[in-house]
Amino acid sequence: MSEPLQPFSPPSSFSSFLPGGVSSGVLAEWILYLVFAFWSLYTVVAVYHWLKYSHASWVALPAIAVHLFVSVALMAYALSGARIV
Amino acid sequence: MKEFELEPGEFVVREVRKHWFLFVTELLPYAIMAVIPFTLSKFLALSPSLLSYAAFFDFSEPLARAGLGVWLLVVWTGAWGAFTKYFLNVWVLTSQRIVNIKQRRFFSREVSSLFLSRIQDVTTDVHGLLPSLLGIGTIKAQTAAEDVEFVMPGIPRPEEMRDLILKYVPEDDSPPPTGV
Repeated sequence: MSEPLQPFSPPSSFSSFLPGGVSSGVLAEWILYLVFAFWSLYTVVAVYHWLKYSHASWVALPAIAVHLFVSVALMAYALSGARIV
Repeated sequence: MKEFELEPGEFVVREVRKHWFLFVTELLPYAIMAVIPFTLSKFLALSPSLLSYAAFFDFSEPLARAGLGVWLLVVWTGAWGAFTKYFLNVWVLTSQRIVNIKQRRFFSREVSSLFLSRIQDVTTDVHGLLPSLLGIGTIKAQTAAEDVEFVMPGIPRPEEMRDLILKYVPEDDSPPPTGV
């Protein structure tokens, strides 16, 4: 893609619902952080189960590694329009 | 194996999980959910009245990208969770017993054992076209107490597993070893 990345730009009517001083881009960023926080919690719990109950299995570590790799790639994609990237 | 302690002289014969085809069918909803954002815009474009909504699925827009990324992250994490559950549910056949490790959900785990010396009858049940073609079936191990039945649904090659169980069922009436 040759076009430069654009900042978040939700519909203009959306901005009227936001409190003063909060831009839609900042709100979208915080929603993303909230989703990532839930993801982190879920992942920690799942990894705990993998390591506790499948410690002898050769599948545990590759499964965790693939999950982290794919998830981080999707997070980077989701954040690609946010200000911080 | 942390879930249970092996008795002296006891060894693991085989670990069995549900057939891979059943796992794939569990993944199907996630696969459908993953392609929805890509197909929905094409369907919306077919109707002139809904054409304006197709713009929400223009993934060159940052907000649409964020939405797609979050959607795919949720779908991926759900599918990975399904794999985790699939892998943590296992039947372990040892030389002395069958151990059923059931992971219902996170922090809900049940481990039960059936000593082979208590088994009186082992039944396999393969029912339907696909299960017959793919070798998916159910094993029921019946004990002397009529109400006690150990069921292993959806396992691959049930006949082979039944033969393996019967191979390790002791022929004498020696009492089962104690302890889990």
